[in-house]
Amino acid sequence: MVYYASSWMVLQVLAMRASLFITCYNDTLFPETGRAVVALLERLGVALDFNPQQTCCGQMHANTGFRREAFLLAQRFVRQYQEAEAVVIPSSSCVAMIREQYAPLFEELGDASLRSAFAALLPRVFELSEYLVDELCVEDVGAYFPHRVTYHASCHGLRALALGDRPGRLLARVRGLDLVPLKNLDRCCGFGGTFSVKNGEVSSAMLAEKLRDVMATGAEFCTALDNSCLMHLGGALHRQFAGMKTIHLAEILASTERAPAEACA
Amino acid sequence: MNAAAAPRSHRRPVLDPALAPPFPVAALPVLRNPQLRKNVAHAIDVIQAKRTRLVEEKVDWQALRTAAAAIRAHALENLGAYLELFEARCTAAGGQVHWAGDAAEAREIVLDLLRREKASEVIKIKTMTSAEIQLNPFLESAGIAVFETDLAEIILQLGDDEPSHIVVPALHVNRSQVREIFARRMGIENLSDNPQALTAAARNYLREKFLRVPVAVGGANFLIAETGAVAVVESEGNGRMCLTLPQTLITLAGIEKVLPRYQDLEVMLQVLARSATGERMNPYTSLWTGVSAGDGPGRFHVILLDNGRSRILRRKTERQTLRCIRCAACMNACPVYRQTGGHAYGSVYPGPIGAILTPQLMQLRHAQSLPYASTLCGACYEVCPVKINIPEVLVDLRAQVTDQERRRIKRLFDPMYLALRIAALVFSRAWLFHAAQRLARMGLGPFTRKDGWIHALPSAGAEWTETRDLRGLPAQTFHAWWANRRARPPREGR
Amino acid sequence: MNASASSREQILDRVRAATPEGASSAEEALRSWSGLPRNYVCRGSLSAQSRLELMMERLREYDAEISECPPEELPAAIGAQLNRSARRSLVAPAGLPPEWLLPGFKWKIDGGPENGGLEIGEIERADGVLTACFCGVADSGTIVLHHTAAEGRRVLSLLPDWHLCILRASQVVETLPEYFSRARELPSAPALVTWISGPSATADIEMTRIKGVHGPRFLHVVLVRDQDAQASANEDWKENEENGVDRPGTR
Repeated sequence: MVYYASSWMVLQVLAMRASLFITCYNDTLFPETGRAVVALLERLGVALDFNPQQTCCGQMHANTGFRREAFLLAQRFVRQYQEAEAVVIPSSSCVAMIREQYAPLFEELGDASLRSAFAALLPRVFELSEYLVDELCVEDVGAYFPHRVTYHASCHGLRALALGDRPGRLLARVRGLDLVPLKNLDRCCGFGGTFSVKNGEVSSAMLAEKLRDVMATGAEFCTALDNSCLMHLGGALHRQFAGMKTIHLAEILASTERAPAEACA
Repeated sequence: MNAAAAPRSHRRPVLDPALAPPFPVAALPVLRNPQLRKNVAHAIDVIQAKRTRLVEEKVDWQALRTAAAAIRAHALENLGAYLELFEARCTAAGGQVHWAGDAAEAREIVLDLLRREKASEVIKIKTMTSAEIQLNPFLESAGIAVFETDLAEIILQLGDDEPSHIVVPALHVNRSQVREIFARRMGIENLSDNPQALTAAARNYLREKFLRVPVAVGGANFLIAETGAVAVVESEGNGRMCLTLPQTLITLAGIEKVLPRYQDLEVMLQVLARSATGERMNPYTSLWTGVSAGDGPGRFHVILLDNGRSRILRRKTERQTLRCIRCAACMNACPVYRQTGGHAYGSVYPGPIGAILTPQLMQLRHAQSLPYASTLCGACYEVCPVKINIPEVLVDLRAQVTDQERRRIKRLFDPMYLALRIAALVFSRAWLFHAAQRLARMGLGPFTRKDGWIHALPSAGAEWTETRDLRGLPAQTFHAWWANRRARPPREGR
Repeated sequence: MNASASSREQILDRVRAATPEGASSAEEALRSWSGLPRNYVCRGSLSAQSRLELMMERLREYDAEISECPPEELPAAIGAQLNRSARRSLVAPAGLPPEWLLPGFKWKIDGGPENGGLEIGEIERADGVLTACFCGVADSGTIVLHHTAAEGRRVLSLLPDWHLCILRASQVVETLPEYFSRARELPSAPALVTWISGPSATADIEMTRIKGVHGPRFLHVVLVRDQDAQASANEDWKENEENGVDRPGTR
């Protein structure tokens, strides 16, 4: 795999094409993750496009019980991306939404044309680490991140997407990175979307327990493939002046000696 | 706030879904009681560690789960035929089959049978179905003395407490609390808090009752359609006592408990013990068929209870719920249950399975907060031996609760409801979304400190900022950055 | 009874209406049952010797005591265990071979034409009980009783505090499905079954495992090396295949 493009124009002709679905909350709250995905994938020779009409996959609505609203957003997603060669999404829970909940939503509320368009699109929808490891077949993305890092497996990445050791394999090949294993890796951080507000106290209790494990690693950064978990963990780390930062895995993988991650600035 | 300051006086938890407070409120007493949380976490850690070890050693675990799920799904799909077959075979073997449409009818049948036996006392095997229909208080009010015989159930009965787990119902009570309860209620002085001594006290307390009380009420883990047999899975031997010593045995069983054939136990027994207690096999499993001359009770009644189950069968997604074999693996794996324990669920069925079963048994007239008592992390589905996709059912039930809300005026004052409706509109057009982002940045501006973080928010936002900060909105969204970038020629690197 | 009869019709109607795809008769349902996936391990893979060793290992994990003997030394082995336990007053089911009931102990026999059933109090007061069994499952260290004449009625192996159970090597299978395939060879499914996996136990107080709540606190197994178990297992297997017994996939 070619890491550095001497001529961007030439590569665009040869390269794999992918469409970036940034997700609503990354667009609003974590633009640095999006910038990192762009830097990373373009460095790996992928020609990225970005549909400015995109908004949200509908996960929050589906998971809170707003089925009709979720359906309209799901339909919107399929119509916007049905022509895409590949859709890359740097959020495991949004990919899980598409994989697990779109089909039943379309079964209940959609028509045959939508169902078939979705069936055709689904195999081309990828979570970022899947796209790197399975589609681009790279594990060493040429990243440099000289820090002590622990990886939090988001529940959707771990169970719904079964990402397995993909994130670990990617992190293992980041130069300078010291990966510290996280105890109780399979335990939820307590975010759960609207759960964190509807059941605020329970969510906080779960977070406190997760935080103990995260802090025990002594890492400088806690990373994940889902900024929603990181927003939750990061909010508590900041409240407690913990000194540990959160960072999306894409930002670590995008980081190089010449262009270190923004979070290190 | 008051709950934390209140003295630790005993208050009996409410497990009637019609009366229990909503989950977030019911969870508070436990969240604010470190002793209780420690008891729950300890018990769960022990079971989880044992289960994990035994599941790992089982090379065919996933194949067993697949078979168990298929057997249960098949039994439910053909439930009508299998129930009739069970009834015919059980009756032919000398059992009497009764049918109860709801809890009240089941209670009346039990009382009627006890009156016919002229029984004033009854011994009981731990039975979720009995707790579901609230049999004990009903019998007691009818003047019948009820003796629970499972150690945990004795602790709860004597301690005037309620179960918080379906396999280890007293896991929230520690040894010194058990000692206090036994010493007080059994009148034993100088009782030590050694579990061995406490168990011995329970053995002595019950021995005489087993030999004397002529009627037992129990449940069923499985009904075998092919043979009309009933199986009970247990550890202590109190079940065997109740199944063999009394003259009359009354079994209460949900209609969903049917297995097609005897052979199906080769799958169910393998997955049940490992999932429930982390054992290769539980100490005792008993199976009997009607009545057997000279062995065990001379009269055997089985009450087949519907109580909302036939309604749950109607939708395929919800039907999965009835595959449950009550192993409790889901609650042991659940990170929410781990924090709250079982009483918060306001039902005899706690944990993830309770969060889907209770609202359905209540026809969603009560317990609407339970489907939201989950982060949808999927740990329950992963461990479920009959592959109930609990998160899928939770989401489906949330949709039903939301549909109820849509018809209520109250919704217009619910910030969460309004926020989601507005968000749906906002996400329907990119320009609206982008306008909303700008608006949010302005709106949150006054709450955002110089470090770029939000430390306190009003209204529903306070639920978040109570314990967590929130990152303020960055100056530029991703899509704005992208648009800018496209306007300029791309450079190498960034 | 009337109320229950109408409830019966209502429940069955509701169930049938909710499952329109369900079979109309049990025969039909059981036919589709045969097609359910069963890719779990049915037949064990251990040698006869390893199977017996596994059985003993698992029984020991449950704190059961085990001794072994060849068939001709069984009475002596029973005597040795009885003497070692210092238990004199024992109960036994009527179907046991008379040579198992060693002289010098107080035996009370339950059932059979001459004795009739013992009083519950007599069983309760006995020091121990001696029974045979139907099967042993090595994978989980389980003893299976079908409560035939040599295994005794259910209370017999329940009330005494000490249970001495005679298990022949030829009765030991490796997996639970192998027990069920042996049970299928019986003329009819057993009406009474007890699966015993170690002594009565509870972990209801702080998950601390305590032995002996209500059932016998002590389980003692005498394993009788009665034949080349491997040969016997192979025989069974062939026989079943010839009979076309539905044997799900093995690994």
